[in-house]
Amino acid sequence: MNRRRSLWHKVAYATAIVVLLLPLSYLSQPRTTALHGGESVGSPGGKLAQLRDEYGLSQADLGELDPTSEALKLVTLGMRGPAANILWQKANEYKKTEDWMGFSAALEQIIRLQPNFINVWRFQAWNLSYNISVEFDDYHDRYDWVMKGINFIIGGTNYNKNEPRLLYDVGWFIAQKIGRADEHLQYRRLFREDDDFNGSRKPSDRDNWLVGREWFLKAQEAVDKLGMPIKGITPLVFHSYPSMALIDYTEAIEDEGTFGEVAKNAWRKSQQSWQEFGDREIPTTYNIPIRLNDYERTEERAHESVAALDELLPGMRDKIRQERIEALSPEDRQIWDTPDGDRTAEQKNRAAQIEATLKPSYLEIAQRADTAKQLEALRLADAATHDEWLAGVIDRYRDIVNFKYWRLHCQVEQTPEALAARKAIYEGSHAFRNSDLNAAKKQYDEGLANWRAVLDAYPELLKETIVVDELVDVIKEYTAILDQHDIEFPEPFVLQDVIDEKNKSPYPLTPKTEKQTSPADVTGPSAEADRGIKKSDAQPETEPPAKP
Amino acid sequence: MVVTQLYDLASWLPGAIAYFFELGAALALAAIVISFLISAFRYGPLAGGDIVFRVATTAVADLARTSPRRVWAMARLAMHESLRRNVLVALAVFVVLLLFAGWFLDDTSPDPSTLYLTFVLSATTWLAWALGVFLSAFSLPADFKTRTIYTVVTKPVRPGEIVLGRILGFTIIGSALLVIMGVMSYVFASRLLDHSHSVEVASLQPDAEGGNGALVGRTSSSHGHRHEVRLDADGSGKTDLKNGHWHEITARADGDKTAYTLSEPRGMFVARVPVYGELRFKDRGGHGGDRGISVGKEWKYRSFIEGGTLAAAIWTFHDITPERFPNGLPIEMTIRVFRSHKGDINKGIGGSLIVRNPRTGRSSVDIPFTAQDQEIDYKKIEPSLFDPSGQKLDLFRDLVDNGNVEIQITCLARGQYFGMAMPDLYLRAADASFQANYAKAFFGVWLTMVLVISFAVMFSTFLSGPVAMLATVAILVIGCFTEDIYDLANGITQGGGPFESLVRIVKQQNMVIEMEEGLTKTVVQSIDAAMLFLMKGLAGLLPDFSKFDEAFVNHLAKGFDISPDTVGVWGLRGLAYLCVAFVVGYFFLKTREVAK
Repeated sequence: MNRRRSLWHKVAYATAIVVLLLPLSYLSQPRTTALHGGESVGSPGGKLAQLRDEYGLSQADLGELDPTSEALKLVTLGMRGPAANILWQKANEYKKTEDWMGFSAALEQIIRLQPNFINVWRFQAWNLSYNISVEFDDYHDRYDWVMKGINFIIGGTNYNKNEPRLLYDVGWFIAQKIGRADEHLQYRRLFREDDDFNGSRKPSDRDNWLVGREWFLKAQEAVDKLGMPIKGITPLVFHSYPSMALIDYTEAIEDEGTFGEVAKNAWRKSQQSWQEFGDREIPTTYNIPIRLNDYERTEERAHESVAALDELLPGMRDKIRQERIEALSPEDRQIWDTPDGDRTAEQKNRAAQIEATLKPSYLEIAQRADTAKQLEALRLADAATHDEWLAGVIDRYRDIVNFKYWRLHCQVEQTPEALAARKAIYEGSHAFRNSDLNAAKKQYDEGLANWRAVLDAYPELLKETIVVDELVDVIKEYTAILDQHDIEFPEPFVLQDVIDEKNKSPYPLTPKTEKQTSPADVTGPSAEADRGIKKSDAQPETEPPAKP
Repeated sequence: MVVTQLYDLASWLPGAIAYFFELGAALALAAIVISFLISAFRYGPLAGGDIVFRVATTAVADLARTSPRRVWAMARLAMHESLRRNVLVALAVFVVLLLFAGWFLDDTSPDPSTLYLTFVLSATTWLAWALGVFLSAFSLPADFKTRTIYTVVTKPVRPGEIVLGRILGFTIIGSALLVIMGVMSYVFASRLLDHSHSVEVASLQPDAEGGNGALVGRTSSSHGHRHEVRLDADGSGKTDLKNGHWHEITARADGDKTAYTLSEPRGMFVARVPVYGELRFKDRGGHGGDRGISVGKEWKYRSFIEGGTLAAAIWTFHDITPERFPNGLPIEMTIRVFRSHKGDINKGIGGSLIVRNPRTGRSSVDIPFTAQDQEIDYKKIEPSLFDPSGQKLDLFRDLVDNGNVEIQITCLARGQYFGMAMPDLYLRAADASFQANYAKAFFGVWLTMVLVISFAVMFSTFLSGPVAMLATVAILVIGCFTEDIYDLANGITQGGGPFESLVRIVKQQNMVIEMEEGLTKTVVQSIDAAMLFLMKGLAGLLPDFSKFDEAFVNHLAKGFDISPDTVGVWGLRGLAYLCVAFVVGYFFLKTREVAK
């Protein structure tokens, strides 16, 4: 190759490089930011930078940049996946062999390799707070490991900013793990005393439920303001937790003996928060948003439409029904004419199916209207059908979070009678544990009388199994107190309707004698079990004195 | 600390020597037969036999006439070569590792000293191995390639001296680097773990249990933890044990206030010398057995005894004399707790300890304790005790029989369980020097490095540099996974051998599901059986590095003395492999054309 040809080659290569740099610059130019006069100015960068920005994919958008993490990723020379896999296996082995130091060290390495893999943070934080903490016998050690898990997942929120699931999990760990564990009394106390975690937070705010709520609200804000998607949990449940945390907080302070204005205010705030939750627009699987508070309004609208339709076409519903009865086959007609008490099980099933076919839809009623009324009838039928369906959807969603019960609960608990009842029962229970039987009976009598007043004012409470079971537990302890006094169970009992209601449930009270029903013999799940709380969580730290 | 193997040099040595010579003889015989077959194939049976005989007799003469002076000359050559090849880069890498290690090590770890010591020892081990492989595997092949070996062999030097000189030279270089790394590691660990706290005066409150003027409170937070403090009336005291250490507190008057000063961390760098006993169990009916019961844990290291029953764990200790333990028996124990019901959360689970004469059955009164679960609990058995009837007992006269004594642990809480393994209760005979223990741990690292160098030099006598390196790495890999290979070959590890695993991966099949019956299963498992036989045989022949961490690293990091028996057993094993590598290396070099 002569020198001239070599020179031309070099020129061609240089030209090619320059030409290739142009699209490269267009694609890869980095984004620059600067503040000028309080406003953000600067270049949005090349196409790739803009796309990263649009989809929130750049490291800086995801969260904190950690040189340690970057260094570790680089030194694995592209073998980050296998390295993380090996470390994960090692972590499992360390956990199995109870090498907690090794386990913690392996976790540190894993998260540095995969800081933006959300499930690593979630899984291993759970491991620390829930699985490893229980390997220790001293609750102080357990608390330390619970907090290690919480601090671990908080670390995850630094690397993955505004990630709703992680923010929600922090709230869950702080609220539920500390507030619902067997050791919740001890954990809550240690949490209040934990200066390292709480920092400058006011003592009155150092409640795990309130701090958990702070994180639930952060998660909610990431969804509401930044439009981040909610992953792995239904929006309904996700949005219920800030309010539930307030309710749980109020119940917890009452369980620990705080009543009066403090409790009343807490219930008021809970009610307000639950109301706001009810007004929140919740996406559904039916592709329509709903508001839980809309149920009553929607149902009322449906009733109005049905009433208007009935008024427009009086007697049409019964007429169609009668026609359908007349048109039944001889076999079905025979079943239909048989009184319900005389039907066999098979006939009863068939009768229910027949009943469903007899009811005309609103559209079918409207279609029977004459021409002058048909347009109006169809409009009313359509409105009634839609509103009934919508009310059904809202009702199903309300059931998931037990919306109606918690709304009623927040309302009832603020009343002077309910506050007085809870205070008296708490003090009575306390006196019982301290073997002050007279004071215990007196407080219980007062508490039960106040509960009577509450139930008289809100008779719908008796339809709530949670309330019935909770009161049955109270009655059981009252029975134990009476036993200690050698006093017969009073008849009529002040909360006899509660016992009667319990007897209607699938887990009735077992009568002690023919005459007397002893609540101590209650079988079946308790109020705590209904709420998903383990029985052991709800038991007092000190057992009541044994019967003589 | 988890201990799965205890070393007893005296009982190990006779069997080991016999095994060494038996295996050596078998291998030598195999080598002679194979050499003869090869020679016979190339030169005919008579000439082949003559060659083998000549090589064998020359070898004996060569080895007998090995000159230390010439070996040293060869070693110096190897050292010069190492320095020429910028061996000090390894030191630079180590310095960089230490400089940035603080980024990756969590000083809030529940056991920071273990973490830091494990890190420095592991880093040093890996670097020493890498150094050994790179220096040794490429040295002789490079000489062959550049033909500088001809300059050497034209001198009156024997092949054995070349091999030994190389091993010695590289070992000296590696040792010098290890010493520097050891010192740097020690400074690194002790400096990074050194910290102090201040007493939070506002937290101090009168101590209800401590008497007049005693105070309790807490320290400031440092390195991710804080301590509870307990101060005497004069202001002095100490903190509780946290993250494996505690601090001494001294007080001095500062105007009308008291200033408290905390010492450096204590108890972080220790070397307990444990005396282990034999453990046996009694079940809930009081009947004996080797193990307690399982509480369903996957890890079977510990077994458990049921509380509120006759179940007990009994350790028998030997050679207990007043001269050895003049102040009584210092017991340290880690008794794990398993609760089958919540019980009283505020209290630990109570247990009882008794000291018993194994022959007469006479025992001390119950010594109650609360299980500390994962913490080490210290109990002192005084030389003077009482029996259950209140009569005075002398520990050594009444309870120790011919140097033997039993210590029995029972759990008192019904429905709760205590878990233990043999090393969980021991007599803390003394505390050895931590620095000496540190040196022993580095001796372990050094030993493995010498083995790596020896094998790499051995392979380099007949393989090219890269292949020799790969072969040495293969030895290391097999050595590090010896136990796993045994588990695989013995069917303890589920999922089958290499081929079965490959089939399972391709089919995305779970490890615990049986393979479908048929030809595939027969073929795959037959190949695996042959492979595993080979792997097991190789693993049995090659040095086992899988217990290295437990024997050296864990002992140092967890604060236990590395026993002389451990050092002895590992040292002799290392020497045995060194001899084998040397002899094999000699023969391969001897039979190469260049060295004749």
